[in-house]
This record gives sequence, structure tokens and C-alpha cells, in this order.
Amino acid sequence: MSFVARRFVFYFVAIMVAITFNFIMPRLMPGDPVAAIFASAQGRMPLETLQAYKEMLGFVDGPLWVQYFRYLKSIFTWDLGPTIMLYPLPVTELLAVKVPWTFGLAGMSTLISVTIGLLIGTYASYHRGGLTDRFMPGFWAFVSAMPQPVTALFVFFLLALSWKWFPLSYGANPDLEPGWTLGYISSVLHHSVLPILCMVLGGIGAWIFNMRNAMINVLGEDYITMAKAKGLSNRRIMTHYAARNALLPVVTAVSMQVGFVMAGAIFIETVFNYPGVGLLLFKALGARDYPTMQACFLLIVVFVLVANFIADLLYLWLDPRLRN
Amino acid sequence: MLNHPVIKFIRRFYRGNTAAVLGSLIVATVIIMSMCASLIAENEPNKRVARGHQPPSTELLLGSTRSGKDVFSQVLHGGRISLLVAFGAATITTIIAVVVGISAGYFGGRVDEFLMSFTNIILVFPQLPLLIILAAFLGQVGPLVITLIIGLSSWAWGARVIRSQTMAIRNKEFILAAEVMGESKWRIIFVEILPNLISIVVGGAMGTCIYALMAEAGLEFLGLGDPTIITWGTMLFWAQSNAAFVVGAWWDMVVPGAAIAIFGGGLALLNMSIDQISNPKLKTGAYIKTWRRMKAKVDMQRAQS
Repeated sequence: MSFVARRFVFYFVAIMVAITFNFIMPRLMPGDPVAAIFASAQGRMPLETLQAYKEMLGFVDGPLWVQYFRYLKSIFTWDLGPTIMLYPLPVTELLAVKVPWTFGLAGMSTLISVTIGLLIGTYASYHRGGLTDRFMPGFWAFVSAMPQPVTALFVFFLLALSWKWFPLSYGANPDLEPGWTLGYISSVLHHSVLPILCMVLGGIGAWIFNMRNAMINVLGEDYITMAKAKGLSNRRIMTHYAARNALLPVVTAVSMQVGFVMAGAIFIETVFNYPGVGLLLFKALGARDYPTMQACFLLIVVFVLVANFIADLLYLWLDPRLRN
Repeated sequence: MLNHPVIKFIRRFYRGNTAAVLGSLIVATVIIMSMCASLIAENEPNKRVARGHQPPSTELLLGSTRSGKDVFSQVLHGGRISLLVAFGAATITTIIAVVVGISAGYFGGRVDEFLMSFTNIILVFPQLPLLIILAAFLGQVGPLVITLIIGLSSWAWGARVIRSQTMAIRNKEFILAAEVMGESKWRIIFVEILPNLISIVVGGAMGTCIYALMAEAGLEFLGLGDPTIITWGTMLFWAQSNAAFVVGAWWDMVVPGAAIAIFGGGLALLNMSIDQISNPKLKTGAYIKTWRRMKAKVDMQRAQS
């Protein structure tokens, strides 16, 4: 099997594990989960929906495997039932509104932290013992050991609340009409600065470390000495000879990073009241809205798996040995 | 006494390594302060001692919470449980990671394939969201349950690192010699292989400690923990639900936040220095200076001869 096909099978298995996890969780809960769901709706739900929920969660008459396939069917037909907190709005519709916000934050912050992190890591390792090399790793080790809710709270307190440089909450100015207008877009950008900053602060350290460590290992190789002997410019050796090869182990660490960014979104969006999937999950936790919680979890898993698959493709591009 | 190998090793570890010294100082101070919480703090953490949201003063060193409790006393007592959770989870994780990683690396073949496919699947899952969903279904979880779910779910990365190191050691002469001498597999694993992995295992354990501290704070911040137990995470939770920042009671939020940040940062600095034991190439600062000085000397001697 080719590399891509093998990875594809792996991710399919991973998704099945996540779905199975979702299937098992309500069954491990003490008491009757559907009754618990119904109770947490506090009378907003008519009695008929009880049956619909049972079917959605796979609680139908029959042995466990029948229930399991019923549940799989509802997942793959993208029928996740109505939400509890905003009954009768379907979970999928609610998610569709929230996804772009989180996607924007996660994408932008990953782009920024990868770019700056790799640059600092490369530079520090190439100029061993220099100022960057001596102080950056320690400083970023300290910063990235801060829990994301704490980083978010401190940034919120300083930049939004005390100095009032950036807005306190929401994804855009609520007085503006959403649309492709200059005013609205700039408002969206303005509101996204602090959440993105928090995500970058939490994520950049790992990129710097991984890159620096990988670079240091690569720089000891003979072909680097050879390149220097050939009289190539420092810059060319740094980027084309060392960094490209050092990227390989860095790309494999991407799975941890994307998961970390998505987890960070939960806290950061909560602190900044940002209308994404993270805040939705937080609100669902408060409302004990299990269908929405599970949908958010599944979505985050799928997002992380897709990011991993992209990393695999990148790996293939970087390492010609894997192509056959 | 001063020439004892352990003391020598410790002195070598700290010499010229500001990060290691600073990290150890921070970690030791925080541990000692929370261990002696009831000696240092005058007030009981759960007793109402002042009006709500009093700013820091000479009487209340770090102010009071909204319900009038001593923040200083709370952060010291809360530290106990937060540290226990972090160390407990790190212990569980390390044990599982060592067993899985060494078994996969040493036995290879089917065992390796089975253990690693399992490990890789766990690794690809976003850990914190998984923990959040687990905690949500279990209902408000106490520190013990948090320790268990963090410990049982976050060993995958460590297992993979230990496995690759084990594979590197497996074919060295001393392992082959032990095998030829007919030593038992478990003796080879624990007596021959494990000591060579110590720095990686300790580094991994510290990394997990940081992660567990973060995960615990995160879970409790979201209100998934037991809010009646004082920890750094639940202090953040209460401060956030009382809108401490907005009403101007910044100390209520900053104190537990800073406690977690400082302790985590201390661990991270220490961890960085331990990484440098297993991979001395990563060293920086004074080592590079020493190396440059030695190189200049050698160059000069060469030039003279």
C-alpha cells in the first residue's frame, strides 16, 4: 500500500474510534442519559423529541450492535439531532455558523506561529551561543508553560481591559451589519487580534524548540561541512541545506500542535466571548447539552485529523524517499 | 564527600546553567511553600476573614476573594492539591509510557506493531478536548478523578520517544552480552535498558507534569472540577465566574494564574536543562563560551607550531 493510502486507513480508524467513544460515553453515564438530556432542557423540549433523541443516540430496541449501526448511520448522514440549549435548532446548523470563526483563528495563529517559530529556531541554532540562542529558548519555555486560560486572562486584562487597545468581546462589532464591507471586515480583524495573539503565545514555543533541536542535529552532518567547503553563502546553507532537512521531524510534531491549538480555542474563545466552536462547547458544558458537546468534540477530532493528513502530504513533499 | 559521583554530577549540571538554577529554585520554593501552607498562612483557606474583594494590604497579603476569604492562604493550600494532581498524573503517565515504550522497542515485531498502532491512534486525538468530554460525562470531577483521567490518557508521546530510544540501545553490545549470558528479559529491560533512558524518562515526566498542571487548571476553569475543593484551577474558576477583572479585583485572578504560570515555567526551565543531559548538543550559553575559548587556544597553538 502506498504511504498516502496507509495514512488514509489510519485516519479512518481514528475517526471510527472517536465515534465509538461518543457512542460509549452516554452508556457509561449513571442513570438514563436520554432522561438526563431531557431534564437539562428544563421543559423547552416537547415529549415527542425524546424518541428522536433516543434514535439519534442509537438507543433503539435491539442488541448493542444494532444500536451501534443506528448511531453510525446518524453520524454519517450528518443528522446530529436538535440542540438542547437552543431547541429546536439542529446541532449541524449551529455548528455551521460557528466553524468559520474558529477556523479563522486557528488557521491564522498556526500560520503566524509556524513562520515566526521556524525562523527563530533556525536562526538560533545557526548562530549558536548568540543572544537569540541563549535567551529565546528559556524565555519561550517559560511562556509556553503557561496554561492557555491564564495567558488569555492576562492578555485580556492588560490589552483589552486596562489599556483598552482591543475590544473585550465578540467576533465583530455587533452594531455593524455582517457582510463583505470594509467596516465589517476591519472590525472582524480588530476583534481577532487578541485571540490570535494568545494562541500564538501558547503555540510558538514548541515550534522554536522542535526546529532548534532538529537543526542542531542536522548541522552536525557531513553535507553541511561539505556545503561550507564549497563556499556557499551562510544563508543558502541555513535555508536550503539545513532547514529543509530539519523540517522533517518538526512536521511530525504537528499533530500535537494542532490539538493544542484547538484546545486553546476553547479557553481563549471563552475568555474573549468569541463566537466560535470553543465558546459553543463551553456553553454546551454549562447547559449540559450533550448532543452539542459530542458534535463539537467530533468536529475538533476531524479538524485535527485533516490537519495531520495535510502534514503527511507535506512530509511526502519534503522527503522524496517516501514517494514510490 | 565532595568527590562523590552524585555530587559531582549535580555540580556539573548546575554550573553555568542559569536556566537549571532558576528552574530548581522556583520549583523547590513553590513545593516547600505549599507543603508548609498551614504554617505560613495565618488564616484558614475556607474561613471568611474580611469583606469581599479587599485589595492586597499588610493584613491580607494578597487580598480577599469575593466571599471574603484570604487569597494568600488559598493559593498556598490550593497549591498542595494542584501539585499532587500534577505529580500523580505524571507518575501514572510515566509508568505506562515506560512499560509500553520499552516493551515495543525491545520485543519488536508483533508486540511493537500492536502497541504502536494503539499509541499512534491515541496520539492523534486532541487530548484536552477528550478530557473535557470525559469530565463532562462523569459530572463534576474531584482531583483524584482528574489525576486518573489525565494520567491514563497522556502517555502516548512519551511511549513513542522511549520506544525509539530503546530501539537505538537494543542492539548495543552490552544488551547482546546480557542476552547471551541468559539473563531474563525483565532483568534486561529494567536493569540494562532503563538506566540508559533515565534522562528521557525524567524529562518526559516533567513535561507531563506541566501538561497535567495545565489540563487540571483548564478543566477546572471550565467548571468541570469540583468547585468546593480549593485548587489553583478552581480559584481561577471562581474568579472568572465572579468577573473579578471586570469589577477591578485583579488579585483574585492574577494570584492563582501567576502561581500556575510561575510553577509551570520553573518546571519548563528545569526540563530544558534535563533535555541537555540526554542531548548535550542542545546546550547553550556558558558551554558555547567555554568551547570557543578552547578552540581559540588550540588555533593559537597550531598557528605557533
